[in-house]
Amino acid sequence: MIPDRIIEQNTLKTDGSTSTVEVRLPWYRSLPAASVSEVEFSVDGVAAPADSIRWTMNGRTYRLDDLVGVIDEWWFPTDSAVLSGSIPLEPGGSHEVRVALKLYIPYIVTDHGVLRIEEHNEKTMEAVAS
Amino acid sequence: MTTRLGTPIQGVTLYSFTRAFHAREYDLEALLRKVAAEGFGPGVEIIGFSSIRDFPKVDDAFVGWFRDIMAELDLVPTSLAANGDWAVDPRRLMSIDEVVEYMTPQVEAAAALGFPVARITPTGLPPEFFEKILPVAERTGVTLALEVHAHHHGRHEDIIRLRDAFERIDSPLLGFTADWGATVVGFAPSLLEAYRRRGASEELLTAVSELWNRTYQEGPPETQEAHGERFGAFIGLAHQYGRPDLGIDFAINGTGLFGPAQIDTWEGIAPWIRHVHGKFFGIDENGEEPSVPVRGLIRFLIEHGYSGAISSEYEGWHWNSWESPFDIIRGEHAVQRSAAADAGSRMITDPAEARAILSSHLAQPTR
Repeated sequence: MIPDRIIEQNTLKTDGSTSTVEVRLPWYRSLPAASVSEVEFSVDGVAAPADSIRWTMNGRTYRLDDLVGVIDEWWFPTDSAVLSGSIPLEPGGSHEVRVALKLYIPYIVTDHGVLRIEEHNEKTMEAVAS
Repeated sequence: MTTRLGTPIQGVTLYSFTRAFHAREYDLEALLRKVAAEGFGPGVEIIGFSSIRDFPKVDDAFVGWFRDIMAELDLVPTSLAANGDWAVDPRRLMSIDEVVEYMTPQVEAAAALGFPVARITPTGLPPEFFEKILPVAERTGVTLALEVHAHHHGRHEDIIRLRDAFERIDSPLLGFTADWGATVVGFAPSLLEAYRRRGASEELLTAVSELWNRTYQEGPPETQEAHGERFGAFIGLAHQYGRPDLGIDFAINGTGLFGPAQIDTWEGIAPWIRHVHGKFFGIDENGEEPSVPVRGLIRFLIEHGYSGAISSEYEGWHWNSWESPFDIIRGEHAVQRSAAADAGSRMITDPAEARAILSSHLAQPTR
């Protein structure tokens, strides 16, 4: 659903070793943190190692594994989450950012289990120093 | 039928404007003001988890603000859409008791905000759920209206089982929300246009449309297996034409958005229809909805004495980024009003009249 909205244009930041980008919910209603199942983040084809990825939502920062079972924090449809990961990058220049999300939809359960949507987005933007 | 002709209440769900809300072009207040200014009411439906931060928690300040702005704009709250998130923790499904506990504050929020109906989803909730949550409905006075959404329809065995339970329980507070997406007559042209813009060939688009038309001729799937086969057929088509990336999209939309049941399948639950989602996908150059039989559905409701609210629910926003949802709602409302006149009745657009008629509609026994 509206996957073109996932990456917020012009939000790529870097401190040289860690890159961050703001991401939007590709769904029409709030989802709990526990719905965030898998996250991929890459810049110019260089993927952040999974164990380096951090997810910041409502002012709280999580490792991906720590999102499991979190049902007291919700991702509101007009809020940005901040995604960061170990991707070496210098400020400036034009970069291809890619984010892929797999999200559980908590009220849709099919014969194959809880519906998990897979959405991805690519956008080109300049990196600024964080 | 000897039923007196119904007078449905015109309105809209803010879900129709998801794209504008999500893009931060309109917040909740701006959308309500837009609805009032455009005359898209008087009925207004909102989805709790879409429009209200921290839903279902609604504090006194929010409740006061919401009631004040609805009064100021002379809008009529019709339905608050509630969700039974039984996989809120996807590692395990809630028990029925837990779903009841989860949904109780949502029903209470509906009451606090002045909504007489809570739309309930998912469709798979069993009769036991309704028996257990009925005391909450009775305590708050909120009608619980389970959404009948494609691939279900008004004569689907799951729905008939619930109807029978509602008949047995015999409470005016239990009924259905009829979603017009169950009774569609064609694959939405605006979605075909969106696929065209993604590079799908005319041959593939024709094949998708023809496959959907075949499912329409055959009618809705009777079993989960048949549903699965159709799902697979759409995916197969995408592979056959060299666009496997579009397969899941074809399948989800072809089976889950465009339900192929006939209008008269709503006969199965007509007396229990407490609320309606006027689901539609677009308005064409002739001012008509090419894939949802809006005129026939309005006639059906009127002839069955329906005087509840119809929330126009524009779903084409998923793929249609090139047309204004506001223009499209305006267009569908015009079709509804014209259809109501053709059926010998009218849509209610006056707020005071809408309040009186809605309350009398919801007070009626279901049988």
